Amino acid sequence: MGLSLKRYNKMAYDDFEDMVFGHSIYPIKTGFDLEIGAGYTSAEVNYAPRPAAGESKEKLITEYQKITTDVLQRMVQVGFPSVVLETEHVQQMTVNPSWGAEIAHEQKTIMEEFYDEYGIKCALRHTPADIRGGKEALDLRGDSYCLLLESFEEVASNGADMLSIESLGGKSVFDSSIIRNDLSGVLFSIGILGTLDVEFIWEDISKIAKKHDVVAAGDTDCAQANTAMFIAGGLLDRKLAHTLAVVARAVSAPRSLAAYEAGAVGPGKDCGYENTIIKAIAGVPISQEGKGSTCAHSDVMGNLAMQCCDLWSNESVEYRGEFGGTSVQCWGETLSYDCSMMNTAIEAGYAKVFRDVFMVSDRYRDPQAFILAFDNAYRIGESIVKDGNDIYLRAKNAAIEACNIVDEGSRGQLELSRFEKASLAKAIKSLHSLTDEKDVFIEENLNKLSTMESFRPENYGY
Amino acid sequence: MIDINPQRILTRYNVKVEKEMTPEEVAEKLFPVEVNIREVAKAVFEGDEDEVVESIQNAINNGLDPLSLINNALMVGMEIVSTLYDDGVLYLPDVIISAQAMIEGIEYCKERSGQEHEYKGKIVSYVVEGDIHDIGKKIVTVLLRAKGYEVVDLGKDVCVEEVIAAVKREKPIMLTGTSLMTTTMVGFQDVNSRLLESDINVPVVCGGGAVTQDFVSQYELGLYCEEASDVPKIADAIINGLNIGQLMKEFHKH
Repeated sequence: MGLSLKRYNKMAYDDFEDMVFGHSIYPIKTGFDLEIGAGYTSAEVNYAPRPAAGESKEKLITEYQKITTDVLQRMVQVGFPSVVLETEHVQQMTVNPSWGAEIAHEQKTIMEEFYDEYGIKCALRHTPADIRGGKEALDLRGDSYCLLLESFEEVASNGADMLSIESLGGKSVFDSSIIRNDLSGVLFSIGILGTLDVEFIWEDISKIAKKHDVVAAGDTDCAQANTAMFIAGGLLDRKLAHTLAVVARAVSAPRSLAAYEAGAVGPGKDCGYENTIIKAIAGVPISQEGKGSTCAHSDVMGNLAMQCCDLWSNESVEYRGEFGGTSVQCWGETLSYDCSMMNTAIEAGYAKVFRDVFMVSDRYRDPQAFILAFDNAYRIGESIVKDGNDIYLRAKNAAIEACNIVDEGSRGQLELSRFEKASLAKAIKSLHSLTDEKDVFIEENLNKLSTMESFRPENYGY
Repeated sequence: MIDINPQRILTRYNVKVEKEMTPEEVAEKLFPVEVNIREVAKAVFEGDEDEVVESIQNAINNGLDPLSLINNALMVGMEIVSTLYDDGVLYLPDVIISAQAMIEGIEYCKERSGQEHEYKGKIVSYVVEGDIHDIGKKIVTVLLRAKGYEVVDLGKDVCVEEVIAAVKREKPIMLTGTSLMTTTMVGFQDVNSRLLESDINVPVVCGGGAVTQDFVSQYELGLYCEEASDVPKIADAIINGLNIGQLMKEFHKH
């Protein structure tokens, strides 16, 4: 454990009832006059360049200039007071740090022009691609890691206000575990390997952020918990029991929390559906996505995800024309209308009513939504901080608590299929059969993985 | 905090349409009658690798030919698993666990017979250059093997050169490629044109996160696939003689 890690042993919020959208305990000031979690919500618009734009640096820069201008123009045309832009790097931009730097600079220049002319509050998040995935196996601490940090340095010194990443630690182990119903493997890959990698990289990213006076914003377990969510799919998909996706999500909370333990301050990244749990523990502002990200994927909690958000995102949309303008304009406008509604609720004193409506409309849609309803998310948070210093126990606690929440829910309004009940019962049994000793658990799993070619213990300091 | 009765807000269709019988009950009716074969098929269904090998050993000791057990017992067990998956009774991990057990069984049968098993056809799978997201490819590969195909898995982040060389070397009935990102999926374009240049008309089944039917339809050899479970069906359709145009008609859903 690094010297600068600060483990969470208690909840930032005393009561889940205090959690609401647009407010956080530790708001962030960033970019041009923007505040996040300080009493209002803002849209966070995400986009991907068209495939052909990846052919050269010049084409990519032009693409991002157009995207940035389009979004800001639409924001002022419809009268929205604030917006965040998130640029998730395509590989080329991170592998060539100067590309990411130039793009950040160009975007920020355009944003500054709009701020100067209209006073629109805005900020830019850059999310370098995690380029540490080698052809044969992940190479988390080698040359590509140095290049990744160089990319962070470059974007931080050229216009990015907030730094994020969707880190890959544990992914190869997770992938093979989740498709085999191996819960111990899921717990090890996310709870141990993921956590170790998150704290390792965020100590460095936080230093870079501090050096350039920008915001170390946070990570997301997209590579694992969202993979489980996507494989689980809709109600009728039969690729993965949704009750198992619940376990992956619960364990992702202590994993993504490690970024804040290593110096990140939020806003947590949009696709971290675990962020409500993290907000409850750490009090940081969070970005979330749901009904506004159907352009990128379907989930089963499109309204619920808004319940405690500070930024409201569309995940990603390919830049292209739609009937109503370019895709980024259309989605940016939709998100901003949602924010306008939330901000109106805050102004009128109805925020908690709106929060509850968002939450209850999806609470019983799926077990994955149920565990993230803010009261249940808070309970999972409590189970994490109870053993906050032990990265294994807190992950195991989160998994068990999530299963208990679903189990209790199924005796009330949460309808489960017989299959889901059976798979939940198996999960509970399997989790309770695990050791309480971190070292024993790690040893067992390292032994189990010794024949897996794509697993390299040195990636995690073993 | 407010709460409601969700009955008028949403419908849990998975609960509503769930089959009455458990997978085990359905499978029990489908297992073959002959006792040796039945034990192998049951072991595959249960996904127990040790049990699979043990039941094959017993069958061989009782006079059955090891190579014939592949098609007559292992594949029969796997077919039951696939049928139950297609019918919405089993879940994907069940298929993967069973397939793994079946593959172990095939290797054991080959070893005991000292002969090669004849697969339904050969398929090359890969993830495009610049992309390391390979869970989709892993799933597709297992599903194809489960249906009796031999899969040459080139892995992830595979350059066009390597794909073309593998196609020329292996002469597969089809190629499956996956890509998560918009900027890497252009790799399909090069594969398509390089294959056409070499007069190789092998269908290239494309899928993955950012890939859309509109994108894949631009390419003469491209066949868009949204569901991993459709890939073995496409392979079967190729074996049954469908050409690329007919495959598009059958499998392009949008």
